[in-house]
Amino acid sequence: MTILSCGTDTDGGEFVVGSDYLAVSNKVILIDTVTVEMSTINFDSLVTSGQSRILIGNYDDPVFGKVKSESYFQLATDNYTLPSEGSDTSAPNYVFDSISMILKYDHYYYGDTTKVQTFNIHRVTQKIKPNTDDYSFYNNSVLNYSSEVLGSVSYKPRPKEKDSINIKMSTAFGEALFLKIKKREVSDFGTFSEYLKGLILVPSSSNSSSVIGFNLTSKVRLYYSKYLADTETSLIKDFTISETSKQFNSISLDKTGTLIQDLPVSNSNLSSLLTSRQGFIQSGTGVACRIGFPNIKQLKNISDKGAIVDAQLILKPVNNSYSEKFPLADSLQIYVADKLNRISSVLLNSAGNSVYGILNKKSDEFNENIGYSVSVGSFLQNEMLRKTDSQSALILTLPGISKSVDRIILGDQKHPNNKIQLKIYYISY
Amino acid sequence: MKNKFAFLSCMILMSINSFSQSISSSPYSLYGVGSVYDSDFSSIPSIGSSGIALPSANYINNLNPASLGYIPQNHFMFDLGGKAILTTFQSNSKSEKRNNFQFSHIAFAFPVTRNSGFSISLHPYSSASFKISNLKLPVENSSENYTLNAIGTGGLNKFDFSYGYRMNKKLALGVSGSVLFGNTTDDRSYAVEKSVTAISKQTSYNGFRGTVGLQYKIDSTFTIASTFKLPALVNASKVQSIQTVADEVVTTIESDVASDTDDYYLPMEIGFGISKRFKNNLNLIFDYEKSFWSSTNQSELYGKFVNQDRFALGFIFKSKDNRSYWDRIQYGTGLNFDTGYLEVEGKRINNSAISLGVSLPIENTFSTLNISYSYGQKGKIGGGLIKENYHKLSLNLSLDGIWFVKRKIE
Repeated sequence: MTILSCGTDTDGGEFVVGSDYLAVSNKVILIDTVTVEMSTINFDSLVTSGQSRILIGNYDDPVFGKVKSESYFQLATDNYTLPSEGSDTSAPNYVFDSISMILKYDHYYYGDTTKVQTFNIHRVTQKIKPNTDDYSFYNNSVLNYSSEVLGSVSYKPRPKEKDSINIKMSTAFGEALFLKIKKREVSDFGTFSEYLKGLILVPSSSNSSSVIGFNLTSKVRLYYSKYLADTETSLIKDFTISETSKQFNSISLDKTGTLIQDLPVSNSNLSSLLTSRQGFIQSGTGVACRIGFPNIKQLKNISDKGAIVDAQLILKPVNNSYSEKFPLADSLQIYVADKLNRISSVLLNSAGNSVYGILNKKSDEFNENIGYSVSVGSFLQNEMLRKTDSQSALILTLPGISKSVDRIILGDQKHPNNKIQLKIYYISY
Repeated sequence: MKNKFAFLSCMILMSINSFSQSISSSPYSLYGVGSVYDSDFSSIPSIGSSGIALPSANYINNLNPASLGYIPQNHFMFDLGGKAILTTFQSNSKSEKRNNFQFSHIAFAFPVTRNSGFSISLHPYSSASFKISNLKLPVENSSENYTLNAIGTGGLNKFDFSYGYRMNKKLALGVSGSVLFGNTTDDRSYAVEKSVTAISKQTSYNGFRGTVGLQYKIDSTFTIASTFKLPALVNASKVQSIQTVADEVVTTIESDVASDTDDYYLPMEIGFGISKRFKNNLNLIFDYEKSFWSSTNQSELYGKFVNQDRFALGFIFKSKDNRSYWDRIQYGTGLNFDTGYLEVEGKRINNSAISLGVSLPIENTFSTLNISYSYGQKGKIGGGLIKENYHKLSLNLSLDGIWFVKRKIE
């Protein structure tokens, strides 16, 4: 009996009638009309110490204003004495030769590197010590420094081709330091850091074209000679950046006369309605783009029951706002924040992994496909189902927010050419 | 009698068990409560499933309860059947063959009084088996597609209780009650963008339907008959689970949530039949049945339903002589045309079949082994439809209780 009623079916599942009917019980719908609000916000301060980058330079951004980065650091060396060898009768004689700063490119650059950039070295006159509880320095931290220029360079940055730049420093400064050591007035880190609290690199306002990154193997090198009997030996002493927490960049933005000159304090927003349908992000200066979904809960009314199974937010950089000089970053960093722009976490997918906005570089004639796509399905499903009235927003920044000056301009939903798109895939059940 | 009862109970249990394994996957099983089986008893499959006007004189006629008024006294009838079906599915671009063996029915009937009889039968009513693989469908409101995979299983069974009463020499009346019950499962997976959503639904059905029938003998060779099936509601409720997989992580949206779903409606159906015997050895049978599906206002969940017309024509031939075994073999042939009740892609899914068969007597009783073959076509090629060409072999064993008694005596 059982055998009689068994089928020997080999249904390949390739015969289907009535495709329309299949969508009756469960509809798969693309919703691309949900309102997306865009605004620009400004973070109070960013921690710039401990980032392992000397960021130095300035450039005039046609959109954002005047960007400037100064870099502070403290130096130290292994041994605060000159080598002592030989006997009492034939003590060597040490003579100062010169002093230089060697800055090693870390290959970060932004702006026009074909133009000459100038910056000066000054002595910090204040102890390099964070004045807050968290032992950090911020992009807006400022320390006093002497107006005396200890060294100056005007150069065409070649961050990709060259390893380093060499800046001749003041002989008087080098000689004085050398004598301090020779006379053992400086004999350990304590006495040294009391004598030389730190250095600051200050870009000159005379030319303003690029911001360059150098790594922390950069150093100040003191050249001196040893005379013993009739022989002369050249020696060096390197002063390096031993504590990354005592190195930071002070990054400022002069927004006067720009679209975002009225950027409010961090807990309020500057709507894209007031900034020509655009949102702005700039690393280093704390400018970030905020994306809100005010009507997401209305999706519950599309059908009796339904779920957002996937969603893509596609952000388009505004045409002509980026170029070889101002390249687009490969990704966007996404945070979840409340209505006062307090960040609760990075945007996570359902697996708990960070979600990034990934740049689609496939360029076409009108750059229509260039954009960042962000998977926001799980975020929006939670937002749709949220029981309370509060709503979360997404805050977009660029990678390296604390140690670079990259920036991007994004179009909002009504931007004439580069509209932000939200594609929500919804299944009713 | 005790043994007989035990044997039958056992058969019934086994057949209920085997219902769940019946597979008849047709693309059209997607609709309604699945593809409806034909599970006619005895020699009825050979005569195009006609026979509203035939009496249950030497086998059980499942088409009209009034026929039970003609069960001969002291006979206990039993009917058991199965089918082998070879179907070729054809679309514009491809064709595929599938074999299928099905249990058809189990039934017994006995006289209650000299002029009344009762029958009980159990048979599968519908099969909701279907399979859809990697079907690309448009995402509504876009030019994008998603991919659907689906598997449907299960179906409904039918338990019939029928009673027929012969009022007088000319008129017999009958009534029957059918209990419909069963489950269907529908597992679908939707690959949308980078997510896959699985919607798994089990729907339970139960309902009751009444049928009345009459047969009227105009003379000894000519009978007219009618059946009237009442519209009925089949209650449906579902248990559904939904999970979405995104970023390789499963998120449960719903887990075994029970809810009401749209009920299924069976229409009013009116059937007419005639049976006319010629020269005492040829019987012509014709049935017409109309099913008023449009008035059921069936939920769109089940598809689009339209009024259905069914025509059945059959001929039975049996030798006047009764001398040899060969003389006692009955031959039947018939035609069946059915406009179908479904409208898919704006077109009706009709079905037509020709059939022929023999009833081989077993020993010297009313018991027969009925072998019927039919060839039919359902649907058509083109316009988004599928054509099914099927060869169906029905094997029905009709046993007469006297046969049992005899065996026991021997």
